[in-house]
Amino acid sequence: MSAIWYYVFTLVFFLFDYFILAMGLNIQYGETGILNFAYIGFVAVGAYMTGVAGMPNAGTSGQHYILGLSLPFPVNLIIGGLSASALAFLVALITLRRLRTDYLAMVLISLSLVLYDISNNFIPLFNGADGLYNVPEPFASALKLTTNSFVPFFATVTGAIALILWFFMSRITRSPLGRTLRAIRDDPTVASALGKGVFRYQLTSMLVGSFYAGVGGGLIIQFGGSFNPTAWLPGETFVIFAVIIVGGVGNNVGMLVGALVVETLLIHLPAFLPAIPGHAGLIEYIDTMVIGVVLMIMLWFRPQGLVPERVRRSKFTLPEMATSSGTSVVAPSASVSRETPSTDPTPHNEEKDAQ
Amino acid sequence: MTYGNETHPSPTAAGESILRCENITKSFLGVNALNGASFEVPRNMITALIGPNGAGKTTLVNILSGAMRSDAGTTHLGSVDVTNWESYRIARLGLMRTFQLSRELGGLTVLENLLVAPKVQAGESLINIFFRPRLLKREERQNIERATEILATYGLYELRDNRARELSGGQKKLLEISRGVMAAPTVFLLDEPMAGVNPALIDRIAGYILDMKRQGMTVLMIEHNLNVVEKICDFVIVLAEGKTLATGRLSELRANPEVVQAYLGEVINASTTN
Repeated sequence: MSAIWYYVFTLVFFLFDYFILAMGLNIQYGETGILNFAYIGFVAVGAYMTGVAGMPNAGTSGQHYILGLSLPFPVNLIIGGLSASALAFLVALITLRRLRTDYLAMVLISLSLVLYDISNNFIPLFNGADGLYNVPEPFASALKLTTNSFVPFFATVTGAIALILWFFMSRITRSPLGRTLRAIRDDPTVASALGKGVFRYQLTSMLVGSFYAGVGGGLIIQFGGSFNPTAWLPGETFVIFAVIIVGGVGNNVGMLVGALVVETLLIHLPAFLPAIPGHAGLIEYIDTMVIGVVLMIMLWFRPQGLVPERVRRSKFTLPEMATSSGTSVVAPSASVSRETPSTDPTPHNEEKDAQ
Repeated sequence: MTYGNETHPSPTAAGESILRCENITKSFLGVNALNGASFEVPRNMITALIGPNGAGKTTLVNILSGAMRSDAGTTHLGSVDVTNWESYRIARLGLMRTFQLSRELGGLTVLENLLVAPKVQAGESLINIFFRPRLLKREERQNIERATEILATYGLYELRDNRARELSGGQKKLLEISRGVMAAPTVFLLDEPMAGVNPALIDRIAGYILDMKRQGMTVLMIEHNLNVVEKICDFVIVLAEGKTLATGRLSELRANPEVVQAYLGEVINASTTN
């Protein structure tokens, strides 16, 4: 396979992987309004746990890590996702009941730093600053894949997983559950006054979103074969926020578009450009600035994103209703006056039967 | 029965109260907003909660609905002690409320605002979403039909697909009330439903409130418009300085010198000056 295809499929992998990550953050922030500034921490937990669940016992490998279960893909990936959800459960129990918006955001960003420090310094957990490496490539030996052929294969696998997760996420966001999450995002006090246990729904959102984070992280370690603290600096959370802001908060299709623009075109594509002679790393710095500028332009001129949250229009109509006057033909029972007797408040039974 | 000619049953004859609070106190940084407020709201009647600004009316509604915790005192909804319950639990027991400044769910459409309201929905469970799609479809269709009918009744049908944040102030009031009706509450607390709306709409909202009573709901409304109170309310509670000053019919309260001094005199003077 030529080098160009290797690059293309690498970009395809990151497109789908960040699509998954963005969907996870979107259900938390875009749908439920939880400012999860520790999101990258959940990605990292998913990556590490996928790695140690799939790797053999550390033994004499020179690495230090827990578990080492040699579980096959995708069992280890599911463990990665569930581990991130388990962490989200703990975090939600501690923070969500007590803290709202800005304070929650501050605590979560601190959590992200704490997780980073633990993984960086506590070597027996995930091999400290060196991180995990030599993570087995899924199906590589069974399908006799070389390093070059593994890339398109795994990019395709990631695409398939992304589509499955997109299907599940769409079911959730289009359901009454998704509607209730958006109600909580818009005004948790009102949602609570309508009988919605806000904490329970926020917890659900955290668990689902963090599962996606864990799976996205798990796919990264399986794709690259290694994962260490430099791969998930706490600031990386804001790249995923950039993906969902550029794509369109609250829209799953927007997540794919955001991943394409931010992650694929702005972050990974320039990495394949030849370095400017005498200025090694300059492209990378310019790249970071460009992301910042794009984010500012989007927030200024198109805060709803490239693919805005869609208005969910009703397909159900009452055919007897007037369409031009803007008022109902069926006189509102309550538009009574001193002269007009009140009508029955529910005069639509026949209309309903006619549907 | 028409608006303006309501016959008001005697609260004492009706006997049973559905909402009761005793000695509610609440202070903010040492300032007493409520100072031992006690009253009973009779079942299936329209009760007005009136009083001067700063009397603690909204604080009381916040406490009754669980949006705020009281420092002391008890509240009962029916026979259940709901003192300091979280608001969603009180709502599930059948108490809905509106807010003094309308609080629409702005990113949702008008129809979706109503569809959120049914208290327990099968479609809010992850398991049901993936394993009981038919149940969800049936439930959603029923809810959409009912919500559409309510929107038609409240004159919001044509706006059903608009985002709620795009509505005018009066339309937001109607949306908030219709959203509460969608939840089919036993007790509906309305915080100044007539504030900031034009006289024609006041008439309509008053009619809607009478309809709620006909449908079996109990309404407790904070209201400054005494014409409306006189026409549609069966019972009045006067709150002043965080305490219940008096209860009864408005006609009786007009003869109460304490009430006149604390509130009614002020209102009557204001209306005469204007």
